[in-house]
Amino acid sequence: MSNGLDFEFLIDTFFVALTGVPVAILITVVSLAIALPLGFILALTRINKMLVLNQFSRVYVSFVRGTPVIVQIFIIYNSVPLLLASIFEKYNIQMDVYDVNPIWYALIVFSLNTTATLIEVFRSAINTVSKGQLEAAHSVGLTTVQAFRRIIVPQTLVVALPNICNATVNLIKATSLGYAMSLPEITLKAQVAANASYNYIEAYLDIFIIYLIICSLVEYLFKRLEKRLRKYQIAPTA
Amino acid sequence: MEEYFDSTYIWESIPALLPYLKMTFFVAGLSVLFGSLLGLILAIMKLGENKVFQNIAHGYTTVLRCTPSIVLLFLIYYGVPAIAMNFGVNLNDMSSVFFVVITFTLQFGALMSEVIRSAYESIDRGQYEAAVSVGLSNMQAYRRIIFPQAFVVALPNFGNALLELMKEGALAYTIGLIDVMGKANLIIASNYNSHALEIYIGLSIIYWVLSIIIEQFFLKLERVFSKGNKGLKAA
Repeated sequence: MSNGLDFEFLIDTFFVALTGVPVAILITVVSLAIALPLGFILALTRINKMLVLNQFSRVYVSFVRGTPVIVQIFIIYNSVPLLLASIFEKYNIQMDVYDVNPIWYALIVFSLNTTATLIEVFRSAINTVSKGQLEAAHSVGLTTVQAFRRIIVPQTLVVALPNICNATVNLIKATSLGYAMSLPEITLKAQVAANASYNYIEAYLDIFIIYLIICSLVEYLFKRLEKRLRKYQIAPTA
Repeated sequence: MEEYFDSTYIWESIPALLPYLKMTFFVAGLSVLFGSLLGLILAIMKLGENKVFQNIAHGYTTVLRCTPSIVLLFLIYYGVPAIAMNFGVNLNDMSSVFFVVITFTLQFGALMSEVIRSAYESIDRGQYEAAVSVGLSNMQAYRRIIFPQAFVVALPNFGNALLELMKEGALAYTIGLIDVMGKANLIIASNYNSHALEIYIGLSIIYWVLSIIIEQFFLKLERVFSKGNKGLKAA
């Protein structure tokens, strides 16, 4: 083991692990697509103190932020099949619960998890946009929907973007835990490759490098996006 | 091996798991201690004049932020003994606590360096100049003027980092550490994998309550320490 790194294996496994990237990206993108609108709507219910929904999102955020992702994964991974089994039984659907692709479980876990993060992100971002903006929009004759679409949301997005970037990076990192539900993403693929030959260090180095590349790319893209969105912002003076 | 959900397992699992919080706290405590030290060193490097040190510290933070804990954990677990072997030190029999603490120290250090840096930068330069102008020495100015103010700014972020550390610490079970998470897995294994859901729900309740307590504790601390700020706002 101590005779240095096995470079051939290092390079081979790098490409094996790369084949897991599409799955990780798919989960990240779909989870974000679900969590962004949902998080925004729930953030509004928090701000407007809507009955029931406000309490619900509060408890929800507190739970998701208060428990480790791995525990959430195990809870979903163990509970959803039970639920599905009882549903299948009730409606006489001929389908084995254990045939469900783990991607579905992963999507559930990571959408729920990211939604909670984004509720808090949007809540603080919406709060930074002053109430006068909405009133001004109303006073020039915009409806509330129009005001949100054209005035509030663009401003909120600019403020929220760095935190959304953080949430995205955390989400990508969290997909590495998908191995716990045998999801064929980057970590699992490299682990399986390493199991055959016990070259664990090389395998983890590969995973490490891949995540580093993906996350740097994501951060770069968000920086570009932020610059574009900020174009319309007048420099804050007084 | 009944398949249905039995909530009595939840209530039975909680007292069985609670004693293992000691291990969770032990690992988290050591990581916070060493991690804060590392964070302080990194923050000093970032704030210093030396460009090389600055780049090293910033690079370190970026790399650590991009690495999933699980990957770092395994890299340390397999990598450190292999490196030590080259120097003739055999670490293969080390307890997993050792590797877990190293991993989370490295991670917490990266988090803390940003917390400390942003707290230090939030203090107006004029505070230091004013302190020096009334005759305080460099050391005194830092100890009596800068540090108390930066401390209050850093407090909420420190609390967040601590929560993050505790949650990520759950992953230590993967290299065989028996903390609450590890014990939960042992209980499930001894039940022949039945009622896993109930045990995990019990575990999540423990974590949830714990993070609410930590959160409230830091809110209280913040209120106590920011008392001195009120005078400034009124002025």
